[in-house]
Amino acid sequence: MSGDPGHLPNLGGTEPGGPPARLPRQRCGTTPQMRGRYPDYDVLAETSHWDEPTRRVVLDRVERVPPIRFFDEAEAATLGAFCDVVLAQDSEPRVPVLAMVDEKLFDRRGEGYRHSDMPSDQDTWREVARMLDAAAAKAGAESFAAAEREAQLRIVGRFAEGELPWEGCPVDKAWGVAMRDVLSAFYSHPWAWNEIGFGGPAYPRGYARLGPGQREHWESPPEFDLDPVRDISERGLE
Amino acid sequence: MKARLARGLKGSVMPEGNDSARLLDPRHPSAPRPEGMRRYPEAEAVDMLVVGCGAGGATLAQRLARRGWRVVVLEAGPFWDPDRDWVSDEAGSRNLYWTEPRVIGGNDPVELGKNNSGRGVGGSMVHFAGFAPRFHPSDFEVRSRDGVAADWPISYEELRPPYERIEHELPVAGEHWPWGDPHGYPHSPHPVGGGALRMIEGAERCGIEMRVGPVAIANGSFGNRPHCIYRGLCLQGCKVGAKGSPLVTHVPDALAHGIEIRAECMATRVEVDETGRAVGVTYFHEGEEHFQAAAAVAVAGYSIETPRLLLHSTSSRFPNGLANGNDLVGRGVMVQGAPQVAGRFPEELRMYKAPPPEICSEQFYETDEERGFARGFSIQTVGPLPIGWAEHVLADGHWGQALREYMRDYNHWYVIGALNELLPRAENRVTLAEETDSNGMPVARMDYSQCDNDRANIAFGKERMREVVRAAGAQDVLEIDRYAHLVGGCPMSETPESGVVDSDQRVWEVPNLFVADGSVMPTQGSANPALTIMALASRLAERLALKRSGEPAARRPRRLRRGSRPAPTGVDAG
Repeated sequence: MSGDPGHLPNLGGTEPGGPPARLPRQRCGTTPQMRGRYPDYDVLAETSHWDEPTRRVVLDRVERVPPIRFFDEAEAATLGAFCDVVLAQDSEPRVPVLAMVDEKLFDRRGEGYRHSDMPSDQDTWREVARMLDAAAAKAGAESFAAAEREAQLRIVGRFAEGELPWEGCPVDKAWGVAMRDVLSAFYSHPWAWNEIGFGGPAYPRGYARLGPGQREHWESPPEFDLDPVRDISERGLE
Repeated sequence: MKARLARGLKGSVMPEGNDSARLLDPRHPSAPRPEGMRRYPEAEAVDMLVVGCGAGGATLAQRLARRGWRVVVLEAGPFWDPDRDWVSDEAGSRNLYWTEPRVIGGNDPVELGKNNSGRGVGGSMVHFAGFAPRFHPSDFEVRSRDGVAADWPISYEELRPPYERIEHELPVAGEHWPWGDPHGYPHSPHPVGGGALRMIEGAERCGIEMRVGPVAIANGSFGNRPHCIYRGLCLQGCKVGAKGSPLVTHVPDALAHGIEIRAECMATRVEVDETGRAVGVTYFHEGEEHFQAAAAVAVAGYSIETPRLLLHSTSSRFPNGLANGNDLVGRGVMVQGAPQVAGRFPEELRMYKAPPPEICSEQFYETDEERGFARGFSIQTVGPLPIGWAEHVLADGHWGQALREYMRDYNHWYVIGALNELLPRAENRVTLAEETDSNGMPVARMDYSQCDNDRANIAFGKERMREVVRAAGAQDVLEIDRYAHLVGGCPMSETPESGVVDSDQRVWEVPNLFVADGSVMPTQGSANPALTIMALASRLAERLALKRSGEPAARRPRRLRRGSRPAPTGVDAG
């Protein structure tokens, strides 16, 4: 079963040829792109066991997707494509990450710090959009959103390595600011919890089965049977 | 003796001199309600005005209230109602953190906010993991022993009684502790999850001893506080009321003894009169400026906000800020190195279950010359939730499909972290930035850079953790560099030239102004600071009571204008 770690990127799996083959389709509830390791697990089936303020906060992420108010149309197109690339959200259903980031910036919700050599988070995000579009233009595309997938991956790769030219402030810190918001949005979403088998809110019920390999009665086993040797050869990664 | 024995036979021993756990409403055990709280007029000088209702401020207020002092506490954040305000959710808990603007700089800038900064009644302990270790005796004499940093003007022996007292009040659960000054804990250790079991085995194979605890979580019900439910969201505020924070450990008793907590009140200046005595504090509440008169003031805003307040409290007598005559306020601010090493295991470990603080080793706490650097580190468990785990995966260099795959693998991972003692450096400092907040007060800027000793300590700690994780059978390993905790910035010292406060935490330059938080620590050890901050505040209260002449001040109201001088009530320790 999933005891074999050969699917992990450090051990030769996954990148860059997409998700591991044989990753099951989700059979219950929703995951981003409807794949996941826990095809019969839906954390949203447990909401009756959550306290009301928590239930409201989590369900709002699913039921109340905010409109784009902070970014303009061009920025939203560029940054929406950026969010898709850094999270490998290559098809529907997608967690609406850009809308969640936009709302945070629109509401001016801070993180409690700003690097002395960086602009505000709001201005940083706008700069990221400009920088991505400039890099795409250099590669001959009309915009980052319009660039080929391969070109987008190359540009984001250079961004992640701190190699994109950016006047005035450190590009590695911009990567940190943007990814902090992206990851916080994506992994706060219950669809992402379904994908990774996270138990989610646990008040007032709590957890009782803490030992290795133990599950609560409502948690579900993983289903992922992958022979890494075969997988790598099947995907032509050797 | 008989009473103590009888209490012992009934299970949890309740602490003496603090009824907080019994005062909580059993239907809402995660916080007291402020209804019926005593109120004090602003113009009447209270005996002690405390700024900040966290580990230091709340403990000090409770102790003084017990002795009949009239105490007001100003708290910048809200008075929490956990049933309504807190959620069992990672991203939804951002209100617990100090998310007001601050600026960070230096070669190794320290991210603030959720990592280390609280706001609201209960302070950062509302969202601390729960580890509550003592400092070691060696921490108080680092300069003498190791030739680095500074000695404290007090010894471990002076903190042992308040340590023991606070451990009973939180209460702390853990195995008998073999390191530092060996000691036991009032509550037996909690059960640990599968990941911690793995790490205990791995450490053993490396010759490293681990112990369960010490955590500020009652093992069993405690007064009206219920048992822990092992839901793993300790860093998001304990809705259960099982984890100790001042909100449940000291505020209920303090309220019962007549303190007033003024929530959502942001202190902007400590005011002094022409003789250099503090006369009260100017603060903002809902955009309005107020002034509370006081016979004495204790600042407990922690290592960023305390220096900020003192630096902003300029006057003709103190043009560079209060207590800053030697240009030392804000200097020596410290964080601990907190690198994490994650290991991947064949079976599911589901590290979101059980409190993140599970086991700890202080085997590497003391200096070992063979390592090539001074001081050391401790090893603890971390247990990140999905967003925290995603940040860990990103820091190891993964995004896109690789990130998603490591995330899908979440349930197979377990994470341990080090707390490295990084040394205080004068150039690491809190100052005022040009940017101002909504009250027009300059925001804090924190500059931080490591020294060679710090880098060597962190690298060595990571190497030991990699060994533990590998020996535990990890199939893959991911790492992240980060920081934890904040202390220092207003160090206590033997002489007025070498620090900001004396051994009684009294500001050298102002006879009735005290600092009652972690900023007074000259060094930080490799221990989580909460217990020591509380123990220091508890000791400070004892010292104040000893030095105070006679009973509480007369109750007659005094008419005071802002800046006028209150009648002395004999609080200054001079």
